[in-house]
Amino acid sequence: MTVQSVPPATQQSTAPDLVPVDLDGVVLHARRGESLAACLAGAGVVALRTTRTGAERGMFCGMGVCQDCLVEVDGRANMRACMVKVDRPLRVRREAFGRPPPTAMIGAAPKTVDDMPVLRPDVLVVGGGPAGLAAALAARRAGADVLLLDERSALGGQYFKQPAVSSGVRVDGQHETGRRLVEAVREAGVTVRSNALVWGAFTPLEFAADIEGSTARLCPRAAIIATGAYERAWAVPGWTLPGVMTTGAAQTLWRTAGRLPGKRVLIAGNGPLNLQLATELLAGGATVVAVVESASAPSPAGIGDILRLTMAAPGLAAEGLRMVAACRRAGVPMIHESHVAAIEQGEDGLLARIGGRHGQVLEADIVCLGYGFVPSNDLLRAIGVPHAPAAGGYHLETMRDESGATDIAGLFSVGDCTRIAGARVAQAEGALAGFAAARHLGLALSADARTEEARARSASNRHHRFQRALWSLYRPTIQAPPSDSGTILCRCEEVTLGDVEAAFAEGLVAAGAIKRRTRLGMGRCQGRYCAPALEALLDTRQPRVHDEYSGFAPRVPVKPIRIADLARPMDAP
Amino acid sequence: MTGANLPNEIGTVVVGGGVLGMCIAGFLAEEGRDVAVLDSGGPAGSNANAGSLHVQMQSRFMRMYPEQVPALESALHFYPKAVAFWHEMERKLGADFGMKITGGLMIAEDHDQLAFLTYKAGRERALGLDAHILDRVELERIAPYLGPSVVGAELCANEGKLNPLQANAALRNWAVAGGALIVDDATVSEVRRDASGFRIQAGDRRIRAGTVVLAAGAGSRPIAAALGLPLSIEAEPLHVNITEPVAPFIHHMIQHADRPITLKQFASGHVVIGGGWPAHRAGPRDHPTVELSSLIGNATLAQHIAPAVGQLSIIRTWAGINTTTDGKGILGPVDGIPGLFVAIPGDAGYTLGPFSARLVADSVLGRTPSEDIASFTPSRFGGGR
Repeated sequence: MTVQSVPPATQQSTAPDLVPVDLDGVVLHARRGESLAACLAGAGVVALRTTRTGAERGMFCGMGVCQDCLVEVDGRANMRACMVKVDRPLRVRREAFGRPPPTAMIGAAPKTVDDMPVLRPDVLVVGGGPAGLAAALAARRAGADVLLLDERSALGGQYFKQPAVSSGVRVDGQHETGRRLVEAVREAGVTVRSNALVWGAFTPLEFAADIEGSTARLCPRAAIIATGAYERAWAVPGWTLPGVMTTGAAQTLWRTAGRLPGKRVLIAGNGPLNLQLATELLAGGATVVAVVESASAPSPAGIGDILRLTMAAPGLAAEGLRMVAACRRAGVPMIHESHVAAIEQGEDGLLARIGGRHGQVLEADIVCLGYGFVPSNDLLRAIGVPHAPAAGGYHLETMRDESGATDIAGLFSVGDCTRIAGARVAQAEGALAGFAAARHLGLALSADARTEEARARSASNRHHRFQRALWSLYRPTIQAPPSDSGTILCRCEEVTLGDVEAAFAEGLVAAGAIKRRTRLGMGRCQGRYCAPALEALLDTRQPRVHDEYSGFAPRVPVKPIRIADLARPMDAP
Repeated sequence: MTGANLPNEIGTVVVGGGVLGMCIAGFLAEEGRDVAVLDSGGPAGSNANAGSLHVQMQSRFMRMYPEQVPALESALHFYPKAVAFWHEMERKLGADFGMKITGGLMIAEDHDQLAFLTYKAGRERALGLDAHILDRVELERIAPYLGPSVVGAELCANEGKLNPLQANAALRNWAVAGGALIVDDATVSEVRRDASGFRIQAGDRRIRAGTVVLAAGAGSRPIAAALGLPLSIEAEPLHVNITEPVAPFIHHMIQHADRPITLKQFASGHVVIGGGWPAHRAGPRDHPTVELSSLIGNATLAQHIAPAVGQLSIIRTWAGINTTTDGKGILGPVDGIPGLFVAIPGDAGYTLGPFSARLVADSVLGRTPSEDIASFTPSRFGGGR
């Protein structure tokens, strides 16, 4: 690991947009507003904590899901570096497993649920990405009082990734579209709370949230869940090494803070997001070692898909061509029908063994893995909305009608948290659910709103067609990552494939029993990465019913929640 | 052996694969009996247990069911023996249950509570427990993590904790190694008598057995009722929280004289907070489901008692099913139905599990159990034939 040499802290004050961050005694410069993870990446710091077994870990998901980038911030243990915004000088320590708790705390009176303020908006929207923004805007324009809660410090979600710093980000059309949508949401009069994690969902229609470190209950008349998706695990040997991160994580560094994840970057996975990251990092001056794609190279056989895709969304198709051309110009090898089979730490960087058609070993500082997405449906599952297994995948999809309505009265589910279909479908679905929620409240839609609704419906259909053609082109030649018995499946509890196979050998067949036996899925991330992997493994063992009950049961809190925050009622609004 | 190779006929069927069922199967298999455990596989008692080894009378039950205190007291001598028996099992299996007998503290926050504990400890000492009262100064020496409102506590040295995940896995592997059959996805819908014993319906499987042991907690009730045996037991869904792991700092199991809570730290560093906060059953499968009021009430009470806990994050909650009885276990043969046995341990059933299993297994084997269990008879709720 290398730490950039930096001037002493006293020189900071001359640059108003730089903020000192003290990492274990070394002062780094953060750009005001960027995430702590971005600041650390900019300084070349990749290893952030050690696990129970002493293994080093760094940022992996970059979006608050994997719980691997834990550091101590201003004396508070186990903070996610990717979710900490640097808006003031920080003292940061690398985190170690199971450190002693702070002492000399003052006792506080026990609280009851009735101590917590209850917010009762007409419509609660959870998630500030394309789906949530569109839903909030539609419901608000239809006359509803709308509260939007988003876990991040800035709206936009994982697609619109808004710039967090005043300079250094190359703003493009995707940013601009997002900025305009966010602006429209605010101008329409939606109440927005950022840094607001909705961590629990309870029947009939109640939610619990941590809003900037205090607790509130939400009892809306209607709720729209738009919590998006996170990247699917690619559990190969070495995927937990510092410097291995998701494609989305690297993209967040670049698009929100203008930070490169490293100098030499290998990008591997399936789908166009990897290509987009390659062009962005190239523009930022990184060396893209290669783009390793598990699908085949486009061939004449794919012409039908290309035509369908171009007709559905000509702008996106052109964007795709532009990205391919940019990579070609820069001489980035495009390695098709291949995948990352293993990663190890070499002398001068990470060594990625490429499997598939074009086997080879590639060296890079950073390896990005982008092998598709899994819906963040934890709130929907916790409240009891029925789910069904995704066709050809090992995650669940939410059952709902075309307006997003679930079988719980007043509860809607839209975008990638329901079914993976990308940002544009999500945005269209959000609008449809926003209007449907307004109707649920008894609000009459204006002629304009009905026109907008019809437009959203046709956009949803069109972009579904685009998605079908796109994924037909990008059909992967490999489904599951090649793992060996030493490969870690559960990042949090460091449970290997061999541990799971030992549980199989003891005759255990149920996911819950394997979880209890091996601790797979018992860590901070709540099994988000290992659960689909276990489902896939179980399917290879014996014929069985794969349904919403066959995997892990949903658990609240859906993300860790500090007890002191739980005990602090939010100031009454 | 597990799963698919279930024969149509077997000597003994144990209904329920919790700590009781698994131990009974292991004990019978050790004696060469052919035995199968049929378990529904869902969330239940043992597989959702929080690992407290209770010995002193739990104030929660004394508050909720004051009329049961005499029954509790009459069975109190079981508890230290049951904890000792857990130790014996750990040694016998050569396994690590994550077991620690570091004592249990029941704390008081005012003088009325302390007076109650003083009285309770006196009764318990008379009944053979190692129980005494500590004042604030003595407490600070052994439990500096307790909050400022705690004025004193009862320390029961026999109490402790174990990690049920480790214990359950070890017991299962021991039973399987001994030759017991474990079937995980077999929900027993009915047990019927026939000329030579019993016919058991589990999903689409039908098994005949000469002996049946009902060890399914509250799930035993409908099966027993269909056999004409009323059991006065209730399913009590309960809430559990677990925090992120930190270095060990809470060594005792903590309870409260006047509020429902158990608080302890596993050897893994996780702090487990439970102790009788309600959950409910929901959804098409009656899944035990947590409630927001319990989560907030239980976790913030833990912070109140041990303020450093407030700095920890809850990483998961779950709900399990406790089985409440009339204050004591339901153990042994059923009068008038030869071959039918019940094994429901009563309050703090997980603590009493292996010990109660030994007593029932002995009566199945035709031996005289080490304790007189006549007063624990399943037939005490009526329904004689």
